[in-house]
Amino acid sequence: MSTTERKSSTTIGREAIREVVVKNPLGIHARPAALLVRTASAFRSEVTLEKGGQIVSAKSIMGVLTLAGHPGSKMRIRAEGPDAEKAVAAVADLFEKGFYE
Amino acid sequence: MPLCVQDLLGPRAAELKLRVICGAEHLNRPIPEPAVNRPGLALTGFYRYFAHRRVQICGLAEMTYLKTLDATTRAERWRRLFAAGIPCLILARNLRTPPELLEAARARRTPVMRTELHTSRLAQSAARILDDLAAPCLRVQGTTVDLQGIGILLEGPPGIGKSEIALGLIARGCSLVADDVTELRRMSSGLIATSVEVTRYHMEIRGIGILHIPSLLGVSSVRREKRLDMVVRLVPADKSAEVDRIGLDPEMVEILGVAVPRITIPVAPGRDVTLVIQAAALNYRLRQLGHDAAKELDQHIIESLTRGGGRVND
Repeated sequence: MSTTERKSSTTIGREAIREVVVKNPLGIHARPAALLVRTASAFRSEVTLEKGGQIVSAKSIMGVLTLAGHPGSKMRIRAEGPDAEKAVAAVADLFEKGFYE
Repeated sequence: MPLCVQDLLGPRAAELKLRVICGAEHLNRPIPEPAVNRPGLALTGFYRYFAHRRVQICGLAEMTYLKTLDATTRAERWRRLFAAGIPCLILARNLRTPPELLEAARARRTPVMRTELHTSRLAQSAARILDDLAAPCLRVQGTTVDLQGIGILLEGPPGIGKSEIALGLIARGCSLVADDVTELRRMSSGLIATSVEVTRYHMEIRGIGILHIPSLLGVSSVRREKRLDMVVRLVPADKSAEVDRIGLDPEMVEILGVAVPRITIPVAPGRDVTLVIQAAALNYRLRQLGHDAAKELDQHIIESLTRGGGRVND
């Protein structure tokens, strides 16, 4: 969440949401967080991660780390923009593959 | 999320020095009203307007009074107190817990705690801490720094350079409060900004990675929390058509119901805006002191324009 106004009128594209579970044994520590941020940053859409009511940008290392994604925890990936579906699929794939750990 | 008894045992309530005597398995009991109550009247048998939704605090007065009653009445009073559905009971001065109290508490699955603090001190601290714990809270994406006593939240799209700009400000004597994720709490003194525990005092700088700021730049380069005074919004230089050029009508944003001044600064790649932010913060302070450069200059211009029957003096 940001204090800037939502620019809903200028946002073209759509929204995609998917629920995922942290599968890798150490959870989302620095290395998986970096991989996640790098993956999300490749898309033009705004990508967020939500856990327990806290929402952070999936393009922010510090944001992703503050979520404290311990093994087994559930998260919601949400993207909004021209490539929303691809972004969510790419990030969800990392969770699915346990961040290659 | 409503507060629960467990929150009174967390780090933010450490000064209460509470120890659980019974009901450790019921610490998830909610505290519907974040306030304290001394149940003296209820213990005398008067239950109308009993503030049963608050944390109950008993001191020497309550316990001494109960000793004047016979055992049956005493047990009955405790039973009725707990039957009202109180969140928890705290005994001050490490007072002894009579067995009938514990029995009544267990029957209603209500935690009982004890502290060495005296009653008035306990009541004051507990009220303040409950207020703090219940304060509305919001996590925003943005970096917060303390610039000579002025708390500034830097916000803007990912990649605009919030952290890099903050690092520049820290190198010029500011302190880091939070990088990229700022937690805001609405207190009586205003909005208080702090970082999230896990990443506290760390920054991420593209190209370098994660930095521990106090190790790198010394302990004075960080602050645990700071009152937020202004928001600086960083926008890409090509999208900055609405940038304020005069400063006569400072923009305000509302965060958690508190109005905060906000300025918008266009950022072009490679442009160093740390000096602009420093100037904005100092100008904010100057305004607080009653000097408004834009207003004073405008006043001066209007005066010279209206002098001599509308003819402009050149």
